[in-house]
Amino acid sequence: MDSTERIQAASSFLLQSPPGEINDVLNDVRTIISDDDLLQEGVLPALREYNIAQFITVDVPGTQHQSIVSEAARITVEDEEEERFLDPRSKTSFRFDHLSLEASDPQSVEPDEDTESLRAALESSALSYLSSHYHDGVATVFATPGSSRFTVQIVANKYNPSNFWSGRWRSEYVVNLDDHTIEGKVFVNVHYYEQGNVQLATSHNLSLSLPAAVVTSSPGSSASKIFALIDSEESKYQTSLNDAYHEMGEKTFKGLRRALPMTRQKLDWDKVLGYRLGAELAASKGVFGNA
Amino acid sequence: MADLVDSMLDLMRRLPPTRVEENVAALVGICPDYADDLLGSVDQPLQLRTDRATGKDYLACDYNRDGESYRSPWSNEYDPPLDDGTTPTPKLRKLEITANEAFDTYREMYYEGGVSSVYLWDLDDGGFAGVVLFKKGEFTRDVRLRSVFVIDRSSAGEPLSRDTITLTSLCSCVVMNPSSADEPSGSWDSIHVFEASERGRQAHYKLTSTVMLQLVTRHNADTEKKEELLSVGSSEKKVVNEGWKKDGEVNLCGSMTRQTEQDCPLHDSSSHISNTGKMIEEMEIKMRNLLQEVYFGKTRDIVYDLRSVDDLDKARRQKELQKELVGFIKR
Repeated sequence: MDSTERIQAASSFLLQSPPGEINDVLNDVRTIISDDDLLQEGVLPALREYNIAQFITVDVPGTQHQSIVSEAARITVEDEEEERFLDPRSKTSFRFDHLSLEASDPQSVEPDEDTESLRAALESSALSYLSSHYHDGVATVFATPGSSRFTVQIVANKYNPSNFWSGRWRSEYVVNLDDHTIEGKVFVNVHYYEQGNVQLATSHNLSLSLPAAVVTSSPGSSASKIFALIDSEESKYQTSLNDAYHEMGEKTFKGLRRALPMTRQKLDWDKVLGYRLGAELAASKGVFGNA
Repeated sequence: MADLVDSMLDLMRRLPPTRVEENVAALVGICPDYADDLLGSVDQPLQLRTDRATGKDYLACDYNRDGESYRSPWSNEYDPPLDDGTTPTPKLRKLEITANEAFDTYREMYYEGGVSSVYLWDLDDGGFAGVVLFKKGEFTRDVRLRSVFVIDRSSAGEPLSRDTITLTSLCSCVVMNPSSADEPSGSWDSIHVFEASERGRQAHYKLTSTVMLQLVTRHNADTEKKEELLSVGSSEKKVVNEGWKKDGEVNLCGSMTRQTEQDCPLHDSSSHISNTGKMIEEMEIKMRNLLQEVYFGKTRDIVYDLRSVDDLDKARRQKELQKELVGFIKR
């Protein structure tokens, strides 16, 4: 394999990292490729892609909260300027190091006047929703200047390497008040790796239309109505996951292998052998007479 | 370089089990010198093949592979054919034949379908080793239907070439399994590798068992936005039914590995089959429970560690209130 192919393979490994294990995967990849110079340059795009897709959270300099690094947070930069991300909550933009996962060079950003009141209302609803339903979640609400589109992103991570498991829940809702719609995506990933490697990967897409009343209300009231909808959808989804678990456990799993044979007893191996040998002897007389 | 192999194995323990084949191929591409170490240590889904001589299905894995060919446990032939393919000694082959028959009975009792294969090979120290394989999944329906069809055709007295029979039966599968999107599907692969060494009238067994299990559920639902007239009492009320659309997938996939060692009495060579049979049966019962616990218990609990259906704030407030009450009573 030439170096381009090696970097491609390394990048693909990194992009498949389970929640909270990107550094472990990177360490393995370092040993396997054993060419740090090549890696350092080569895998940066993959690390960036992973961080953005996985809603990696970052401590925003000068604040007490975390923000989500994602495509929605990316500030379009002109010319050759370095890429920056936005934390709309503290109205700060920052540079982000995709390897160390640290933010630097904070700068204050003037919010878009027309959309900020509803964005702030959605953010405050998002935070109270977060504390109602998530253990250690982070939510960020982004406005799209010049339109009535808002992007709500939620991520919750639990890393427990000493007990060999990790999990991540990601949700994204694009609220469009012009079209009266919400487009949502929910992804759940769980990795359990004590003497094994078991992974749960779920995806869920939903699209809802917003009742007219939601759109015409005051920012505070429409934000809380929107989150009432999100709350109900996510809870419904989580309950439906339970049903999927039940189906897979009761139907599929049981259909693959029985707990015990129909006889409700373990096999009598002497009988199994005796029967087979008998059958074989009878058969061999005819077919393999001289064998 | 033990470090390198360790890193490759650690990596395979972390990356999604759904992509194990692709990832192993990539690792082999990066480190071709360690291909054997990797292929020998990473379990991959078993491949289903059909023995050309007997028409019976068998399972292909690294243990019955020689170059690009795989040996069938039924005919002992390699496919594609090999003139100098490795085969067990005649004595061990005899045991292998009996083992295949016995584990085929076991397969029918526990799996009620699927395919099994047993491969044995001699070890340098005088003992021998073997692998017992079971696979059951969506594909096995084809296998069952194929046999049904063969019987059907022959009873109708229509001589058909094998290829035609297979083709017809595959078509019938499509008809008999309509694409019900919500129906969960799954597959189970068991790989039991053992080493046996004889010590007089005793034998010592070392067993390493891996079970790969994949379960998938897809869902898809939508409604059109429509206005309905509901009659409430005598008056009619217009209700707007908001349209919605949802789809998604739940994929639970992975493998678990366990090891055990045991001494068992040895009466004759067929004792090896009943001894390993009992060990494998015990192990599969244990692992089935373990898989059930991890797949349906552990991973689900972790989802609930991320998000709670119940209102956490309400629970917190209730706890606070309780504390206050306790404090009040104590006062």
